[in-house]
Amino acid sequence: MKPESKNSPGADRHLLIAVDDSENAKRAVLYVADFVGGVPGFRATVLSVIPEPPADYFSTDEERGAWLKEHEAGAAEILERYRQVLVQSGFPEDRVDTVVDVRDCPSVADCILDVQRRLQCCTVIIGRRGISKKEEFLFGSTSSNVLHSGKNCAVWVIE
Amino acid sequence: MNGTQAPTAGTRPDKDALRDMIARRAGPGKVPERLRIITDTSDFFRVDYGDVVILEGRPYFIRNYEREGRFGIDEEPKFWVRRALDLSDGSTKIIKMVFLERFTARVGDLTFECVRSPGKEAAILDMVRGHPNFMQGFSVKDASGNIIRIIDHIRGPTLADHVLGLGKDHEEYFHDHFPSVLDEYIGLVKAIGFLHDRGEKHGDIRRDHIIKERATGLSRWIDFDFNYLHKENVFGYDVFGLGNVLAYLAGRGDVTAHQLRGEGSPVFQRLTEEDFNIVFGNRVVNLKKVYPYIPDALNYVLMHFSTGANIFYDNTGELLADLQEARDKIHSS
Repeated sequence: MKPESKNSPGADRHLLIAVDDSENAKRAVLYVADFVGGVPGFRATVLSVIPEPPADYFSTDEERGAWLKEHEAGAAEILERYRQVLVQSGFPEDRVDTVVDVRDCPSVADCILDVQRRLQCCTVIIGRRGISKKEEFLFGSTSSNVLHSGKNCAVWVIE
Repeated sequence: MNGTQAPTAGTRPDKDALRDMIARRAGPGKVPERLRIITDTSDFFRVDYGDVVILEGRPYFIRNYEREGRFGIDEEPKFWVRRALDLSDGSTKIIKMVFLERFTARVGDLTFECVRSPGKEAAILDMVRGHPNFMQGFSVKDASGNIIRIIDHIRGPTLADHVLGLGKDHEEYFHDHFPSVLDEYIGLVKAIGFLHDRGEKHGDIRRDHIIKERATGLSRWIDFDFNYLHKENVFGYDVFGLGNVLAYLAGRGDVTAHQLRGEGSPVFQRLTEEDFNIVFGNRVVNLKKVYPYIPDALNYVLMHFSTGANIFYDNTGELLADLQEARDKIHSS
């Protein structure tokens, strides 16, 4: 992870686009490409958070390693695709980064906001899945939590 | 039962010594003709009634397997969970061997992937040692390194079965017994909060996972080996389970649309979709419509688990704050 963005006057505005393999994540990237692509003064980091499974979620270390490898490779592939979308929309090549963040993560929203603070991004962009009320109750909603917990940054929730 | 510690390993007794111990602890008639000693439980199906499993030098005389007593109807045998006699001190234990099961859990129409995690349960047993609202025990490793949990046997009914026998009808139950049941429930919610504060979840909160210990009257959570890849809210599923238990305790059983319709209750016609459980759409949680003497403060808590809810409890702290208010109303009325 390269913490290189500054929000000082004259520096690029740094957008953090949090994605997974869902359609709503794709919509969030396309929205940024459409809205900001080609406009000078912006840079973007596309982030995929992979919460580490509990220590003994897998019966063997090999199984755990394979799971992580598969998910990291899948995330890297998606991020590369989205990086190209942003570049094609007009972001300079050197103004688009990708980050796969594998970590112990009680809340994905907290992990996203942690990256936002570290990279000093001024805006977090995230898609909303439109989950049902019962799903939100049982499992929680990442976009809602980012929206409610984000401080010192703007949050764009894309539907 | 007071904070069971792992016993220190002793020297492995020979077969004659084991026969003497079985005769002394279980009775001479229980000594098997051919005594089999097991130290590796990897194939738990091979562990039979009458075998002796030796774990870290301590012999356990294997008795029947346990059953999953969910709702008393589909009592499936749990072949990896055996009742046993600790031959060193004569106490009854539950021996949980390693069954690495991975399955899709279904809650209403929601599904998620679950595993049985011996390591999680072993860690929680250490965490809750001496806590009055949890089963007590410890873990050891067998000869192949399997994490075996050795649990003190809790004698008593489930809390769910216990409340069914209280009061001649719901009104009498609610006025005469529910205040103390609610106090017990609040203790159980605090116990789950104790886990959450330490970063652990129970993982399988159900009303039949609370045993009311006959000797002490304490209600204890059991069976916390379920684990799953949580999504945004690590504790949401536990909190949902707590709501289901509360509705059951307040209603002295599930109150269902089917039941009300069958009884010809006029309440059935007045129920709307918002009155039902957010996931289990046949269970009424707006219990005040059925039992008008239920105070608003308690019904307010219950309605957080309804289809009509717009805000949910994110954690046990929020639930406890509202429960305390309901408790004060109930105890002062």
